[in-house]
Amino acid sequence: MRRAASAILCLALLLALAGCAPQAQTATVFAMDTVMELTAYGDREAVDGAVSLIHALEDRLSVTAADSDIARVNSSGGGAVDPGTAALLRRALDISALSGGALDVTIYPLVRAWGFTTGEYRVPGDDEIGALLKNVNYAAVQAGEANVSLPAGALLDLGAVAKGWTGDQIAALWRQVGVKSGLINLGGNVQTVGGKPDGSDWVVGIRDPFSEDVLGAIAARDLAVVTSGGYQRYFEREGVRYCHIIDPRTGKPADSGLASVTVIGREGVLCDGLSTALYVMGLEDAVRLWRENTGFDLVLVTDGGQVVITEGIEGSFTPMGAYTDKEIKVMRRG
Amino acid sequence: MIAVILLLSVAASLFLFLRPAAGHTAEIYVDGVLYRRVDLGKLTAPERIEVRTERGVNVLLAEPGRIRVESADCPDKVCVEAGWLEDSAAPIVCLPHRVVIKLTGGTSLDAEAG
Repeated sequence: MRRAASAILCLALLLALAGCAPQAQTATVFAMDTVMELTAYGDREAVDGAVSLIHALEDRLSVTAADSDIARVNSSGGGAVDPGTAALLRRALDISALSGGALDVTIYPLVRAWGFTTGEYRVPGDDEIGALLKNVNYAAVQAGEANVSLPAGALLDLGAVAKGWTGDQIAALWRQVGVKSGLINLGGNVQTVGGKPDGSDWVVGIRDPFSEDVLGAIAARDLAVVTSGGYQRYFEREGVRYCHIIDPRTGKPADSGLASVTVIGREGVLCDGLSTALYVMGLEDAVRLWRENTGFDLVLVTDGGQVVITEGIEGSFTPMGAYTDKEIKVMRRG
Repeated sequence: MIAVILLLSVAASLFLFLRPAAGHTAEIYVDGVLYRRVDLGKLTAPERIEVRTERGVNVLLAEPGRIRVESADCPDKVCVEAGWLEDSAAPIVCLPHRVVIKLTGGTSLDAEAG
């Protein structure tokens, strides 16, 4: 009798616990040339709203969709755009300036010339690169409240910041509707809302640029974690590896001595834009830019396999796998 | 007595809810919908899995503890080149066919940046 009673009680508690614990609501979205995974605890509508948001943003920001804001601006040299598109462009221009042009939203003609837009890779000649570089200049782009103007010959591409921005918009939506726990993974561009449902931090791995493993993990809460690296997309010709991130100063694939750059901070669009810019800039300039600014921390991996982190994440970064035995260099502001 | 039973029931419930999954299970999704689940820990011999989608076919090879895309009729073959998935929070993705293969259980990571 007593055993039966305790079994019933156990079952009742089990059901009660199952009822109380917020359920994971998830969605998988194929957009922006990647696969996105959304998880919000307890709120189905929040996830559905995020899916609509992703499609709306892709429709406006895609450089290839014929009727996007970006495609229209590129074909006509400017004009009216959605206020959100203009706001993203203004933020992207800020980040371009912050990085001294290492991020440039007008690099698209070079990306196309190297074949990274189609996968039909080629190595353009110096004359072709020189001619295309004449039209690369983010500083000549004008962005108003709901309009954009490009200098003649320039083409705009917000691909280096669009996913970070999208993550920010989803995170803002979720916080607004009261989501306490959410994970936004836009094809390896990760943002977290709150912590996990059990109150602990989200654990976000960082890919090892030299293998299929992770090099370590960041304990994250209300943070974006974004990585750029040459390993993500590249091609080889005659033994030379050409990566997809083009250095706006040379018009050629970046070759700064860094294998990957991970930026961790509150603002996804900043992390996204800076991960590209710092990859182009290299170790020394990346650390200098970090010292001169606030709002983000870094995990840098050099071509030689040295891992350098900044002091703000000293307590939340854990090396893993082959990196547990390696020296991790910590940069300080002082 | 009641307190003891209560405590035991809570402990039992927590145990049932929180115990980690043993080993890896591979989940195969097509366009976001679960297509098949393979317990890689229980496999004793290699198994070939044909994933037929509206957009094309991916042939998967599951082995004890790991899984890969062996061949696919997609244009870019990124899924084939991705190699074995055995210990990672990053899924294998075939964007053209909207196929995603990911592991559950066994990994301590919630997501992977990169």
